[in-house]
Formats: sequence, C-alpha cells, structure tokens
Amino acid sequence: MDTVAVLKRGMQKGLQTMWALAKVIVPVYVGVTFLKHTPLMEIIANFFEPFMSIFGLPGEASVALVLGNLLNIYAALGAISSLDLSAKAITTIAAMLLISHSLLIESAVSARTGVSAVTMTVFRLSLSLAAGVLLNIML
Amino acid sequence: MEWQAFGREAAHGVAYNVALMAAIIIPLMTVLEFARELKLLDRFSSRVTPLLRIFGMSGEASLPLLVGGVFGLAYGAGVIIESARSGKISWRDLFLVNIFLSVFHAAIEDTALFIAVGADPVVILGGRFLLAVVITLAASRIIR
Repeated sequence: MDTVAVLKRGMQKGLQTMWALAKVIVPVYVGVTFLKHTPLMEIIANFFEPFMSIFGLPGEASVALVLGNLLNIYAALGAISSLDLSAKAITTIAAMLLISHSLLIESAVSARTGVSAVTMTVFRLSLSLAAGVLLNIML
Repeated sequence: MEWQAFGREAAHGVAYNVALMAAIIIPLMTVLEFARELKLLDRFSSRVTPLLRIFGMSGEASLPLLVGGVFGLAYGAGVIIESARSGKISWRDLFLVNIFLSVFHAAIEDTALFIAVGADPVVILGGRFLLAVVITLAASRIIR
C-alpha cells in the first residue's frame, strides 16, 4: 500500500466533503440567523408549534426537519447550529433526520436497485415520525 | 432589525461551525480512505454472515450491507447496483438490504456531524442500529 498516496487521497476527500458541506452550511446558517432576527421566524415557529410538540420540539425545529428531508443533512446541520435548541431537541432531530433525509436524491438511488421510490419515501418518513414520538417519550 | 448583531452572530457562528466540522471530517475521511484501501470491509464481511442468517439472508448480501452502512448510500449504491446486476443476490435479499440501509446508512460520517452539533451519540447510533435490525427482522418474517 502506498501510504502517502492514500493519506493524500483521504485528505483530498475530506477537503472535498468539507467544501460540499461549507457550500450548504454557510448560506443556511446565515439565512436562518437572518430569519431569527426578523419576525418571520416567530411566525414559522408559531405555525409549526402544534405539530412539532408531538415530538417535544419547538416550532423553529421545523426549519431543520424540512431542510434535511428536502435538501440534505448538511442543510439541516446549518439550521440546527444556528437555532438555540436543547440537547434533547438536537438528539431528537438528529435521530429523525438520520432515518429520513435527502428524500429526493436517495429515493432515486433506491429506485435504481428495483425498489419503489414512493414506498421508500413513505416508509422512511413514517419511521422518522415514529422515532420522533418515541424519543419524546423516552428522553 | 439589528444588522450589527445579525452580522456578528452569523460571522462567528459560520466560522465556528465550519472549523469544528473540518476538524472532525478531514481526519475521519482520511481514516475511512485507509479502511477502503485495506479492504477492511471485504475481510469483515464474512464475519457478518452469521448475523444475516437471523434475517434468512445469504452471505452475498453482507458486503452491500456493510459498505452502505459504513460509507453511505452514495458510495454503497455502486456495490448494491453491482450485486443486483450480477444476479448473485436474490430479490428478497436485495429488498432486505434496502430496508436495513434505508434506516441505517453512512453511520460514520452522518453520526460524527450530528455529534458535532450536540446530539447524543448513543441514542443516534445505537438506537438507529437497533431500529434497523427490528424493522429488517419484521420484514424478513413477512417476506418468505
């Protein structure tokens, strides 16, 4: 094994991932922080509050869940780090998003292996919601 | 609106979070690259086979399961699609691999990033693995 070459390739991949991450996290972080400084965040939070309370989450958390499911985990990470959330809330959001995220892209991958994209999306979303309810009770 | 407060908070938060994630992701990806180069998962895959028997799956499914679980779907897809095309893996096994991986994938990278923003590692890694096993077990009993 060429240790130096692997080391170089690994760091290159790390930097590539970091670049992909930063490209999403930076605008999302700035965007969500901006929202927090306007009355709009309170309107969003109040609107989603009843639904989010099922998972023991504040209304703002909806921003992270929506971004994670529609775009990807990176976007959700940007939102989570910008919002002021409790440790319990972060763990709940993380668990929910780890089960269902990037639904648009990953369902396409599933479909290529011969499993219906709709089935997979419905399956993952229901599991994610169930995990959220369960963690709210357990944590 | 207080533009100064917003600017300070955004600049500070962005710098802090990007630096924190770089400190985690770059070493982690380097370690994963070594794991790939040494084909650690290929060696490990035979040891997972007994576990797969619980689901009534054949040993052929162990590599796609491991690669997807550890490296993620984007990387695992190549291995999964490859085994699907080669025909060595049954439709049932492939379906169960999909079920398992839909809940449990990219365990290393995703988990590390969520730990960076403050999530509990035991809950998100252990809980997710347990959930994947239970769901796959249930599915394996339904599909014969």
